[in-house]
Amino acid sequence: MNPPEDRQSIDERDPIDTQLHEQNAYINDDGFTQHVIAALPLRRRMWLRPALLLGSVAIGWVLAVLWLPWKNLPPLSVSAVLSLNSQVLTPWVLVLTVAASLVWAIVAAIQWDD
Amino acid sequence: MSVSDADLIARVLAREDHHAFAELVRRYQSPVRAFLTRMTRGDAHLGDDLAQETFLKAWRKLHTYRGTAPFSTWLFGIAFNEFRSVARQRKELALDDVDKEPAEAPPPAADPQSGLRLDLTEALKRLHSNERAAVLLCCQNGLSHEEAARALDCPLGTVKTNVLRGKQKLKRWLQGYQHYESA
Repeated sequence: MNPPEDRQSIDERDPIDTQLHEQNAYINDDGFTQHVIAALPLRRRMWLRPALLLGSVAIGWVLAVLWLPWKNLPPLSVSAVLSLNSQVLTPWVLVLTVAASLVWAIVAAIQWDD
Repeated sequence: MSVSDADLIARVLAREDHHAFAELVRRYQSPVRAFLTRMTRGDAHLGDDLAQETFLKAWRKLHTYRGTAPFSTWLFGIAFNEFRSVARQRKELALDDVDKEPAEAPPPAADPQSGLRLDLTEALKRLHSNERAAVLLCCQNGLSHEEAARALDCPLGTVKTNVLRGKQKLKRWLQGYQHYESA
């Protein structure tokens, strides 16, 4: 906040500013701080959810690497894509879906906010 | 000698020091509660609920405070976001239906000593919420335009315009009231 003004600058101030300033009376705490402190969550737990999400992502990566038929994937070519050959495209769509969901989970864990 | 905000924040971050955070709450509870009560058009209960949520969020997000702006500016930013999220859900706090100028000046208060004060309070309620926030932060809480722009997460020019427009409206309405009183 700005430093306190001297008397002259207060006198020269816009009357609306002066009125608003005068209205800015101190509000007594009356247990407000105690209320806030009693409601504080443990900060350690705030790492729990993104950590769990990242752990799940790691497990997901391992399962994807182990279970997806990487060696049996049909070769992907422009003609196969253009022909919309489901036998070629379906496994690749599956791979892309898994990869996209894992990337999304990583981004969500990194950007975790409350 | 009182401990600086930066030292208190460092203590909270280093060892979850509740006493340090309580000191921060004690320092800023009054301006934050007053700001939110005015933003909610005088609803002190809702203002206090939002203020509590503001401090809880500040506790959770304290690690994101970079110290480039005063701590109060950062807190006001969280407070305004809390207000906005409630205003989206509550029709009576809706942001766009309050931009109408009153047909006549607000009625005079019964107590002539506090008349102008009550009148200004009423006039503030009639401002658009963005104008009210800008006027309250800059004219009542002493934030610079740059700090208010940061707290309200809007361009500097918008804050300047909102302060100017808000004060013009307040002056117009209060002049109407003074004419009424002197008649």
